[in-house]
Amino acid sequence: MRRTIAIAAFLLVLASLHVVALGRSTVERKQLPRGEGSAIVLPSPLLKIAALEFRGLISDYLFLDSIAFYGETLNRTERPRIKEWEWRWLYQTLTASTDLDPYFLDPYLFGNAFFTWEAGMIRETNDLLAKGSGYRTWDWMLPFFAGFNNFYFLQENEKAAEFLMEASRRPDADPMLVSIASKLVFKEKKTETSIQFLEEMLQRTDDESIRQRFTTRIEALRGILLLEQAVVQYQKRFHRKPQRIELLVAKGIIQNIPQDPYGGKFYLDPSGSVKSTTERELMPHRKQ
Amino acid sequence: MTTLWPIALITFKEGIRNRAVYGITLVALLLFGATALVATMVPREVGKVAVDMALSTISFAGLLVVLFVGINLMAKDLDKRTIYTVLSRPISRSQYIVGKFLGMIMLITVTMGILSFLAISAIVMLKTIHGGFFTRFSWQAIILADCLTVLMLIVLSAVSFLFASFTSSSFITLILTIITYIIGQSLSGVKALLETPSHELGFTVSPVTMNMVKASYYLFPNLSLFDIKLQAAHDLPISSSFVIWTVVYGLVYIAISITLAALIFRKKEFP
Amino acid sequence: MITINGISKEFKEGITGKCVKALEGLDLEIKQGEVFGFLGPNGAGKSTTIKILMNLIFPNTGEAKIGGKDVRDPEARRIVGYLPESPYFYDYLTAEELLWFGGKTAGMDANNIRERSDMLIDKVDLQNARKRPLRTYSKGMVQRAGLAMALIHDPDVIILDEPMSGLDPIGRKMVGDLMVELKGQGKTVFFSSHILNDIERFSDRAGIIIGGRLKRVDTLQNLLSGGKDLEDVFMGEVALAQGGTAA
Repeated sequence: MRRTIAIAAFLLVLASLHVVALGRSTVERKQLPRGEGSAIVLPSPLLKIAALEFRGLISDYLFLDSIAFYGETLNRTERPRIKEWEWRWLYQTLTASTDLDPYFLDPYLFGNAFFTWEAGMIRETNDLLAKGSGYRTWDWMLPFFAGFNNFYFLQENEKAAEFLMEASRRPDADPMLVSIASKLVFKEKKTETSIQFLEEMLQRTDDESIRQRFTTRIEALRGILLLEQAVVQYQKRFHRKPQRIELLVAKGIIQNIPQDPYGGKFYLDPSGSVKSTTERELMPHRKQ
Repeated sequence: MTTLWPIALITFKEGIRNRAVYGITLVALLLFGATALVATMVPREVGKVAVDMALSTISFAGLLVVLFVGINLMAKDLDKRTIYTVLSRPISRSQYIVGKFLGMIMLITVTMGILSFLAISAIVMLKTIHGGFFTRFSWQAIILADCLTVLMLIVLSAVSFLFASFTSSSFITLILTIITYIIGQSLSGVKALLETPSHELGFTVSPVTMNMVKASYYLFPNLSLFDIKLQAAHDLPISSSFVIWTVVYGLVYIAISITLAALIFRKKEFP
Repeated sequence: MITINGISKEFKEGITGKCVKALEGLDLEIKQGEVFGFLGPNGAGKSTTIKILMNLIFPNTGEAKIGGKDVRDPEARRIVGYLPESPYFYDYLTAEELLWFGGKTAGMDANNIRERSDMLIDKVDLQNARKRPLRTYSKGMVQRAGLAMALIHDPDVIILDEPMSGLDPIGRKMVGDLMVELKGQGKTVFFSSHILNDIERFSDRAGIIIGGRLKRVDTLQNLLSGGKDLEDVFMGEVALAQGGTAA
């Protein structure tokens, strides 16, 4: 009997030690800096060969690895939250995942959501989307997103229109796409087109933070549109462009000047276009 | 061929009662459970991940059956001299090989049938809960991928028979079969890689290497042909002529392997 | 019944390729209905001879026939029941399934197999274990199962390689009784042993083989004539083979 108790006690001590040690070790491990050298992704041709008949599985794994990593970074307090080489690693991982299975939708959506807004890697994102678009021929979303990126971040409207037209040719494509595309090309009704485009994007976006950005932008553009239409009204009535934006209210065209949701103020530039003081700070990678 | 049936049947019984079969089935069950969990971690294509994991589990478990249960069946005869029991009957060496191989086919088919049933159950379960995320899903494609995997395993098994016919150690047979599997699965990729134009590749491939790879391509079984998991996961079109020619290739390779195995086995001595 | 003509067999030992002569110019004839004991020290070539008869090894020269058929013909084994030295069977089969296999491969029909299985399992005293997997059997039980398997198809020729090795007295008695019974049925029994006592008790004729060569073949009566016992005869042959003179 005594021996049984002694053995039981011994095992109990070992078990508690096991739990404590594992917990401490896991915590300490997270503190270890993850070196740049450790973040290597095998080049895709080798990866494909090494994956044997399990390409789909490895593709899934790589994608889950990247979203797991991204999720971890959300807890970080230091700025920049994600270092440059970490973005590169994420991009390489998503590239590897889509090289193994180019039909896998999630890496493309993930890449499009975060590489554009946070990392400013627009062209890389579009390369990724273009690959997916080439394989997922039944999918109109990928060329649509590529088109949006060209329009919103790169101001390359012609390319944007190309992508939208490609998207429109795919099954179940929203007929709106063709009209937006044509407007982009002919540069008419820029603000209205932007609002339209952004509203389409808003519909297809799940991520809350990105939805917020779109909603804010749409609000700003609605404000601008209102002011632009007011400028046209003013011109019709007074046969000249208004010098200052306050005149629109003073002359009774509109009730009041809409608030800039970014916290700046709307004003009229020398050529009579409606601008906002926050335009410059907003999009650092945007062509001025 | 009334002598083939008893040989096949006892081979099958001996195989299916092997404790390893239970172990492998258990492992597969755990992996199917993991499928149910992991697939839901993906934001959109839950269906695709579920199919990937389920089919991969079937392939992997099937591979374990061929390597450990299948070769073990041979091992008993080669290493442990159970072969005296069989060869003392009025049967020819060829009948022994063919009968044993038929038993092996039965073993693989039955175990794969059980695994497939479990896989399909796992997928059905996931689909009922998360049906909306199962875009582009086709039972046909999944069943076809499963059948081709079974054929691939039978081809690998035939090759292991060929190795067993001239080696005297089951361990060597195991190693050679594993090597054949790896080469068989990766050869297409290697050949495609080396055939890309050298400016893309970054280095030039010597014609000697190229010829060696080409020769290996025809010598070793191209097992990657039987892998249509990607097509099944995304319901991509699979042409019937592809399926027909792949099946023909498989059957021909099996026939050649078993014929060679029988011929070599005729000369084998058991002192 | 069994004829062996000019059989020689050489083995290559390991990678060095040293040749070992296992059998040299063996000529032997076993008559129908007799019990023939093949006596020799370990490594003399007894097992080699038997394995050549069973077509498990191929001779370098010479030929052998059983029942008029060349041993290389599978049909020769239709009338042969074989029990190897230290038999080993598939782990997960039962004795019943083993006998079914033996019967079916010899061309018996299911009813016949059932009848003879019941009879043989009774005879070798395996009733309690008949449905248990063979891996649960003791060594003695495995040997008995092997005997049953050798006899399932009622063969005319029974070849036993060291049938008494590793058996307890009960087992040895059973094998002995069986050999007597088979002889009574007019079967031909060819068995090898290095145990003098067994050869003495059961053989009609015996052959002494030493170093791959057959030294003497004669009826047991003649061998033991002049008051010698088998040990004397045997040791005499051993001495001769080593270059001495007969005692």
